[in-house]
Amino acid sequence: MTPNTSASAPSRRSFLASSAVVTAAVAGGMPLLAACGGSDGGSKEGTTSGKDAKKILPAFVAQNVVTPDIASKNGSASGFTSKLSLADLKTSVPQKLGKGSTIKIMSPFWGSPPKGDNPYYSAMNETIGVDIVWQNQDGNTYDEKLGAVLASSDMPDVVVIPSWNMGGKIPSAIISKMADLGPYLSGDKVKDYPNLAAIPTDAWQYSIFGGKLRGLPQPSPTVPGIVPFYRKDFFDKEGYEVPTSADEFLALAKEITNAKAKVWACDDMKWTAFNSFGVLSGGEKPLGWNLVDGELIYRVETEAYLEALEWTRKLYSAGVVHPDARAANQGNAGQRFTDGQVMMYNQNISDWWGKMAEQATQNKEFRISGMDIFGHDGGDPQLWAASPAGIFAFINKKASKAVIHDVLAAANVAAAPYGTKEYMLTNYGVEGTHYTVKDGVPTKNDKGNQEVLNAYVMLALPAPTIAHPDFPDIAKEQVEWQQRMGAFTKKSSFFGLQITEPARYTSLSNDFEDLEDSVVRGRKKVSDMQQAVSEWKSQGGDKLRDWYKKLLDDSGSAQG
Amino acid sequence: MSAVTEERPKAPGPKAPGRWAAPPRPVWEEEPHKAGLAGKGIVLAIACFAVLFPLWIVVVTSLSSKQDISEAGGLVVIPKGITFIAYQELLSGGQVTRATLVSLGITLVGTVFSMTVSILAAYGLSRIGSVAHRWFLMILLATMFFGAGLIPTYLLVQSLGLTDSYLALILPSAVSVFNILVLRAFFMSISPELTDSARIDGAGDWRILWQIVIPLSRAVIAVITLFYAVGYWSAWFNASLYLSDQDMMPLQNVMIQLVQKQEPPVGMGQAIKTGQLSALAVQMAVMVLALLPVAFLSPFVQKHFKKGMLTGAVKG
Amino acid sequence: MAHSTAPGAAARTAPSSTTDDPAEPSAGGSRAAKPTKPSGVSKAEKKALKKAANGGTLRTRLKRDRTLILMTLPAVLLVLVFNYIPILGNVVAFQEYDPYVSDNGFVAIFHSPWVGFEQFSRIFEDSAFWDAVQNTFVLFSLQLLLFFPIPIVLALLINSVIRPRVRAVSQAILYLPHFFSWVLVITVFQQIFGGAGIIAQTLRQHGYEGFDLMTDPGIFKFLVTAEGVWKDAGWGIIVFLAALASVSPDLYEASAMDGAGRWRRMWHVTLPALRPVIALLLVLRVGDALTVGFEQILLQRDAVGPGAAEVLDTFVWWNGVRNQEFSYAAAAGLIKGVVSLGLVLAANKVAHLMGEQGVYKK
Repeated sequence: MTPNTSASAPSRRSFLASSAVVTAAVAGGMPLLAACGGSDGGSKEGTTSGKDAKKILPAFVAQNVVTPDIASKNGSASGFTSKLSLADLKTSVPQKLGKGSTIKIMSPFWGSPPKGDNPYYSAMNETIGVDIVWQNQDGNTYDEKLGAVLASSDMPDVVVIPSWNMGGKIPSAIISKMADLGPYLSGDKVKDYPNLAAIPTDAWQYSIFGGKLRGLPQPSPTVPGIVPFYRKDFFDKEGYEVPTSADEFLALAKEITNAKAKVWACDDMKWTAFNSFGVLSGGEKPLGWNLVDGELIYRVETEAYLEALEWTRKLYSAGVVHPDARAANQGNAGQRFTDGQVMMYNQNISDWWGKMAEQATQNKEFRISGMDIFGHDGGDPQLWAASPAGIFAFINKKASKAVIHDVLAAANVAAAPYGTKEYMLTNYGVEGTHYTVKDGVPTKNDKGNQEVLNAYVMLALPAPTIAHPDFPDIAKEQVEWQQRMGAFTKKSSFFGLQITEPARYTSLSNDFEDLEDSVVRGRKKVSDMQQAVSEWKSQGGDKLRDWYKKLLDDSGSAQG
Repeated sequence: MSAVTEERPKAPGPKAPGRWAAPPRPVWEEEPHKAGLAGKGIVLAIACFAVLFPLWIVVVTSLSSKQDISEAGGLVVIPKGITFIAYQELLSGGQVTRATLVSLGITLVGTVFSMTVSILAAYGLSRIGSVAHRWFLMILLATMFFGAGLIPTYLLVQSLGLTDSYLALILPSAVSVFNILVLRAFFMSISPELTDSARIDGAGDWRILWQIVIPLSRAVIAVITLFYAVGYWSAWFNASLYLSDQDMMPLQNVMIQLVQKQEPPVGMGQAIKTGQLSALAVQMAVMVLALLPVAFLSPFVQKHFKKGMLTGAVKG
Repeated sequence: MAHSTAPGAAARTAPSSTTDDPAEPSAGGSRAAKPTKPSGVSKAEKKALKKAANGGTLRTRLKRDRTLILMTLPAVLLVLVFNYIPILGNVVAFQEYDPYVSDNGFVAIFHSPWVGFEQFSRIFEDSAFWDAVQNTFVLFSLQLLLFFPIPIVLALLINSVIRPRVRAVSQAILYLPHFFSWVLVITVFQQIFGGAGIIAQTLRQHGYEGFDLMTDPGIFKFLVTAEGVWKDAGWGIIVFLAALASVSPDLYEASAMDGAGRWRRMWHVTLPALRPVIALLLVLRVGDALTVGFEQILLQRDAVGPGAAEVLDTFVWWNGVRNQEFSYAAAAGLIKGVVSLGLVLAANKVAHLMGEQGVYKK
């Protein structure tokens, strides 16, 4: 996510949402072109890769507006730590591309949306040359409304859909009701929109649904996004060392926990456990499959999966996890962390800066830091790459050409890279109205915090960027963490491929997330999970394996 | 409520001001046991305490400063100081103020509409043997057992062009068949002589309804009005489904966002983050705000209702 | 069925409350309290209908009743539009419905493949469904046993208090929790009884072990019932108080003259006056047996896991809304609707056998 989506961080919430629905999420998809010839919206299963994808993908033209202080490496974002000078900002969109269409956009929104006619929206619309009307929906319950809206014939011009909301039949809706952007973006055509041309090809590849380029992606780093955070101020004061193995973590957690004083060592650490034990990604279903010795295995079938659950279960039974985390319906981990009720929690990397900025004024002592993901046995961790894009904007198939052009014009502004005027406008608003710059540090005022929240950034983003002029050290730590972790990150067999599973399997793995949570909280036994896995196999898991195997044989792996 | 004062209605003690005094016990009723009275008192007191204690901590927390709340580590039981900052922030014209007005408006309009439709239908169905009366009843009754899925309902509301309109919060839920049946039963209990004589005097159905039936049914109308009003006031699902403009959201939706998702309303995020205000206090304050109107309304209706029932009983 | 997509459905059929709410039945009590009032279609009505039919041609009757019909039409139209049209959507239970195969979700029904009873057989093989059925019935029985009698007892208690002020004040206090939303009720319970709640922390500070009532699947159903009692028991007394108020004091007096003591009077005068109300509420409650606290349970589902918390309504919601399995959810909803209808008919029959009216009369 953008570094500067204000303190009530959409990305943080979006991760929350994603972790909640993760196993329910199916990667969207596209027909296997080789197999089905790819008639328009015809087949709904499979993927598109290789030559077929090449025909569709936009050309890549890098934008070197500002050289990053820390270049991207190992799948990390690029980091910017220098001061900001308004006078030196470049212009990436020299002339208005918009032709004045009115565009309705439905998008998830985390936080409280501003009024529709605010100065930020006006300034953005003016710069783009369109009249965008936002229909912002609560991001946490977005899936409840999405299905109904997509089923209506009066769908908005643009619908933004996060990949974790693509459960059940949503991919089918994307394929049958969303416009093919190929005629506007494939190959050199994308050069009309230079900022879109600078979006990495991986992210575009992942935006091919049903054999056509349908999504405008928000590129994201492929390094795992979940960081185990700890209260550095507390650790330094008490002289605690950051744990480097699963056993050390448990021992430390027991030492920290003081329930009497309402202090618990950690919140729910399931996601860290998965990373630490090398469990295949649960983010999107295709990422959970990997080829081992010529045979595909799914994440729930692995030893590591059970071991990770077993370890998390130990944390719960040792009483080091906050009771409200066990209840899972009370507040959020970040709140308990800043309140000092838990000393460690795991969350999307955006909290690193988000919590720091949030607490800067009221709690001067507060210091958050991310620990390296430890290998469970104390060695190097085995991490699995995340998808190169997480949220997509789709254009209604019924939209006129003019509207499509204007949406792309808007996305082109939203995707402006760091160091441009458009980037500042998109992410900070209007200088003087929404933010002020002092000593090279832009600071949003109240109005900025209210209005410049996630709206336009939902249309498209530049290549992953971390820039925090207010906390350059944090930006540096974040990028360096990503680079260290990136070194341990491997790509699983279907990395980067947008895959649509056959409809009969889409709900096959839905219950694992619930079961995981029950197992770690001690409500179910690990053997119940083993039982569920064998049921999964017999109820279609094995057939799904064959399906994936055929897909792999036909389309070739991302690793290859 | 000691037996002593009850026995001396003519010499009320200073601790028993007139309004609190018991009316004279009917002569045929025996003296209550002291133990029985104490038992009753205790049970009632426990019940009231069980309700009031949580209510108390909600109110106290809404009035506490951020510091007091973080010291308590959650809801505050014993107040250390009182601050109205949460309420000030909420009512200073932002999202919550607007949402409160929206909720009041919907409740008012919706209740009037629902009552009009329901009273008319109840009266229309109250004469046995009128044309189509049975069919209409059957149509209404069946809906009590079969419902539709989310998607068809949404598609219907959407294709009627009601999305993003307050009508979507009123029309789909305007009729409660159950409430109509209750009204109808009450109307039917009104002595036929009254209506018949009016008819002989040349009154039409409209006049009979307006001049005879409604005045005689004030009690049940008060109760059904309360039911409808409470329904509109606490509804949130339709709004979350059919409205997309956050400015239009009613209070319950803002409250859910605030309490369940822990998102501060527009304009307050900063105050919460910079430490002047506790998020918990704001949540509790919104709860209190959402509670107030109905809490005030119901005792009033309750009085009305009981009075009506009593006269009805005497009459009948 | 009426509550298959519970929040919406609850709001639709009865804006006042969720259906397990005593508020609704309570309204019915006011009518049942007067024993002469039939509701629904009674035998007397049928006879009257026939008589009326003999009494004139359709035209004259139409002319006579046109005002009545006019008055009834708005409600009937609203119900036809907003309840009946969407009900047709339930045919997707016999399909593999994909709302996106055509431009409009309604039209998509005609393009989705028919699969007969396949969804139903899948449901019957789904252990999660049977868990939900079991949880629903256990919860219903608990609520019937523990929750149902409480408003009656409270109403009798308040009714026996003679001072009007004490009555009014205690009543007004007991109503209040009804107006709390479930989110708040659960937050308050968690803050008091949860693992980091007021009681657990107080215990810990005095050297005892803390406890956590909110995440224990074993007691979850009692917890849900307790929350329900706290929230709605006070609201439920309205109807009983109304019924009690309608008992003529003469009856008590006459009974007292005959030498009946306090308890005998309660047995022979008070309770018989409440009987029709209780019977009516019971029938309604049984008809609603499969609807147990949708929102309340959904909010706490993650705290104890679906094994202990899933009920039919949340099962339908989870599959239909979260997993987008529309046909599967619609089938589960249909099963629920049919069973509910059967239950209410059966309960009504029992009520008739016991000499009460129930919801309608044959």
